[in-house]
Amino acid sequence: MNAIDATDRHIKSTDGPPPSLLAIILDTNPHAWAHLSSILPLSKAVASLLVFINAHLASGNANEVAVIASHSQRTHWLYPTPTLPTPHSTSTSNGHDANGTVPENANKYRPFAVIETAILSNLTTLLNSTTASSLSATSTTQISGALSTALSYISKSHIRHSPVDPTINDHSTITTPDTDGILGQQRVSLTSRILILSVSGDLANQYIPVMNAIFAAQRQRIPIDILKLAGDTVLLQQACDATGGIYMAPESPQGLLQYLMMGFLPDATARRALVLPSAGSVDFRAACFCHRKVVDIGYVCSVCLSIFCIPSLPDSKCLTCDSHLSLSTTLTVTPALIPRKKKKRKRGPGESATPAGSSTPAPGSGTPTHS
Amino acid sequence: MSEASTSYKKQDGKLLVSRDGRTVSWKPNAPSTSPLTIAVSEITNLQQTPEKSAKVSIKIVVQRPSASGAENHTFAFTSATAARAEQVAITSLLRKSIEAARAQNGSTPVPAADDGGGPSAAMAIAQAVSAGARAEDNMFDDGRLMSNTDLQKSLLNANPALRQRFDQALREKPDTITISQFSAQFWAARVHLLRAHAVEKSQSQGTYNVLSEVKPKNVDGTTRLNLSKEQIQLIFNQHPLVKKVYNENVPQLSEMEFWSRFFVSRLFKKLKGEKITETDSTDPKLDRYLNFEEEAERTRQLVMAHVPHFIDLEGNEQNHSQRQGNRPDWTMQPNTNERVPILRVLNSMSEKMLADVTPTDADPHAPSGIDEETYKELQLRDLQRGASDNRIMLKIKDQGQFFSGEQDARGSSSASLYAKRTPDQVLSTIQKDFKTISTNDKHAGGLNLESTIGVQEDSDSEEDERSKTKTRVGSKFTRTAATAQIMGAIRQRHLHTDDYLSSSSISSADQAAKLGLGPTVFESLVMTHNTTVEFLHYFWTVFLSGDPDRAGEAQKLVETLDKSLDRISAVAKTAENERMQKIEKSKKQVDDYMQRTGKRRKFDPNSIKGGARAVTDMMTPLVLAIKTATEKYRRAYELQMAQIAQLQNMV
Repeated sequence: MNAIDATDRHIKSTDGPPPSLLAIILDTNPHAWAHLSSILPLSKAVASLLVFINAHLASGNANEVAVIASHSQRTHWLYPTPTLPTPHSTSTSNGHDANGTVPENANKYRPFAVIETAILSNLTTLLNSTTASSLSATSTTQISGALSTALSYISKSHIRHSPVDPTINDHSTITTPDTDGILGQQRVSLTSRILILSVSGDLANQYIPVMNAIFAAQRQRIPIDILKLAGDTVLLQQACDATGGIYMAPESPQGLLQYLMMGFLPDATARRALVLPSAGSVDFRAACFCHRKVVDIGYVCSVCLSIFCIPSLPDSKCLTCDSHLSLSTTLTVTPALIPRKKKKRKRGPGESATPAGSSTPAPGSGTPTHS
Repeated sequence: MSEASTSYKKQDGKLLVSRDGRTVSWKPNAPSTSPLTIAVSEITNLQQTPEKSAKVSIKIVVQRPSASGAENHTFAFTSATAARAEQVAITSLLRKSIEAARAQNGSTPVPAADDGGGPSAAMAIAQAVSAGARAEDNMFDDGRLMSNTDLQKSLLNANPALRQRFDQALREKPDTITISQFSAQFWAARVHLLRAHAVEKSQSQGTYNVLSEVKPKNVDGTTRLNLSKEQIQLIFNQHPLVKKVYNENVPQLSEMEFWSRFFVSRLFKKLKGEKITETDSTDPKLDRYLNFEEEAERTRQLVMAHVPHFIDLEGNEQNHSQRQGNRPDWTMQPNTNERVPILRVLNSMSEKMLADVTPTDADPHAPSGIDEETYKELQLRDLQRGASDNRIMLKIKDQGQFFSGEQDARGSSSASLYAKRTPDQVLSTIQKDFKTISTNDKHAGGLNLESTIGVQEDSDSEEDERSKTKTRVGSKFTRTAATAQIMGAIRQRHLHTDDYLSSSSISSADQAAKLGLGPTVFESLVMTHNTTVEFLHYFWTVFLSGDPDRAGEAQKLVETLDKSLDRISAVAKTAENERMQKIEKSKKQVDDYMQRTGKRRKFDPNSIKGGARAVTDMMTPLVLAIKTATEKYRRAYELQMAQIAQLQNMV
């Protein structure tokens, strides 16, 4: 039955735009939100996000959404709720006691209410389970984990949406061609994108996993959009640039909903026809592997491409792969600017007169006299 | 003049500078003393007596690679009449040779001459010989490309944009930098262009299939044929049979008649690979040769090519074991299948054309016959032992281990911000805030999004004015600000997107108009930008070379960069004047309109784009780059000055 359903969807997609999956990563770093609370409280931000999600779902019948919280020490699914079966398959009108039940409201489109309830209850759970001790350990967020979760969810959805669903048919012969990305264009009729609502800085120490996630997204042609409410920008801006997403750092965060609606609503299909509001310059600097500092000039291992911020490595060996890496030759030569003065001193007498000095000038600089 | 009579150690003799400028030698007039030869590359210093002194002599200081100390050789010029002239000639020649020798040894002259122990003459010669043999390979060598002025000139002629940039930069270069220094610098950054140009120039068109190119044209009812001399030559070359036919028939037939008959004959069709049909006209003379072709071609092919054994079908005939009971192999047999003649003709044509081309991937002087590659091909590799694995194992260590300790020690920018609140406060703030949306879902049938997001469509600006002290989330004011920011970003992106999507099609004038600049201003801005980038490039090369001899250059370049700033502001000024004129014009129009109609029309001078601001906007990165360069220079300069001063104080 499900198989027939999937085929049906595929046929539908041929005459309209393909369904679009929006994976939202909400940075729920409590430190940052507490800091922002006077300007834009988390509750308002979540409400804006819910409106945005509704808009996304409303703009296409088959559109889907996934929401992941990137918390201070872990990532947490907000929607769909992972352990329980997804609400719309169990939403029989029984009971008001369970956490996942949807309140009845005649003025609300039911799928919207389902998602809203799930997100709010999961977020409540997450915040209630956060302890003060876990907060004091770190001041940033697990953005790399959230990105990986989003990517794997998207990839799973792609498989689910492909006309022949290998998870249902259980034909191992079909799963094998599915694993390589070749048929991404032919058979998978789902366009995906990731939106990160980021409030934390200090992401440089997750440089490597984030970079890996960026490259994975780039390969799967998944644009990563960033809405940066606070914090430094180094890494995430590169994510946008590499994947062709939209980067936006709002000057007035109170207008969050307007930013979301204007900047981030169009999906990949619509974006082909639009001029995207991306910032002009991108900070392309990388973080070094040895101190996680963002470097202007770094040194790169020729074998494993690790980046180091200092040329003096212990034993002249790459820290990551142990291959010989002598960076002493890459040291920039100290500019020699002073000998110019020496030269001048010498040129002086040579120009004025020709005293019979037996000084030894710099070779090749002239032919002074000797007696 | 490379010879002068001199005395050395009180002996009369002749001082000679060899023609290739490699050695200086002194030969005594009397054979009793031994002659002296000095390699130019070993000379470390050259001194001469003052011009007004009566005695004319030069001193050559030599550092031999084997000896530790320097040797001095003093030659006094003995010519009664022209001693001074001879000395000048010899010194200038020597100086030139020394410079040439240094240039060969690379950019670090002194150490190379000193401890590099300059390769012995014999070795140098050997190297020169082997270099000659590999001249083909080295044709695209950096050094060779850099010294090839003809190539550079031809590239400049072929690429007007590059020429413009070159000329402009040449005009504005500081005077102390010589043209040769400048052009060396200029080309050093563009060796790849030179190489591409050299490769392009060395390409030549090969032969083509003539018979298919020659097509009779129908002009005014009569068929005409245009056949050039080269084409006839090529036909003879590609089809020896035609040559044979021509030789045997042309005295009898006229040349014109021969060719016109040939191009309608069956022979022609056959050579082209077309099928011969019954309706084709017959030609008693040419048709005789229809069957000739095969054998003639065969022999030529056999003579021409050396076929490696493993693809040699003739060889199969002799070596194959079918006579010993195996079934005859029906594949891999040469046959005279006439069903698809075009394939055979095309194949043999390609073969012939390829045979005319000198192979570029093989050494033309290598011995013919079986080569290493073919020999290896013949070996039965399956029977050999596997080669030992020479891969290098890559051991990746867990990266976490070498920075885990750093993580919390790092004082981050946001950590200090967050430190204002204790974790408990943070939690309570967040949880309290979040309760406002999560609790009311029980009774109200879910969250009322409309009220939560704070957007009130009927709110007017007055209401916003009141709450301006603390801007409310979702107020009209903030939404307008957001819209403005996004639209600004889109506009900026639009400006940039256009010029890289269709950079070739969009003219610079269009681009200039978009920015509100006149085409001339825009052009000069582009030129200024180009030359400044050129100088910046030059500056960093010199600055980072660490070569004291180039310190003067660096100083001059800094001055030039400062001048570049002036040039930019000059362009900005012209742009501003231009804009002012536009504003005046618009104002006048507004005034005219008012006089005519009595109505006042709004005019905003800010609506006129361009001017100094457009220029400065565009040039900000460049100005920043210049400032960084000069700043770095000044700091390094001051530091070194201080060091020198310290040293002098100590002395």
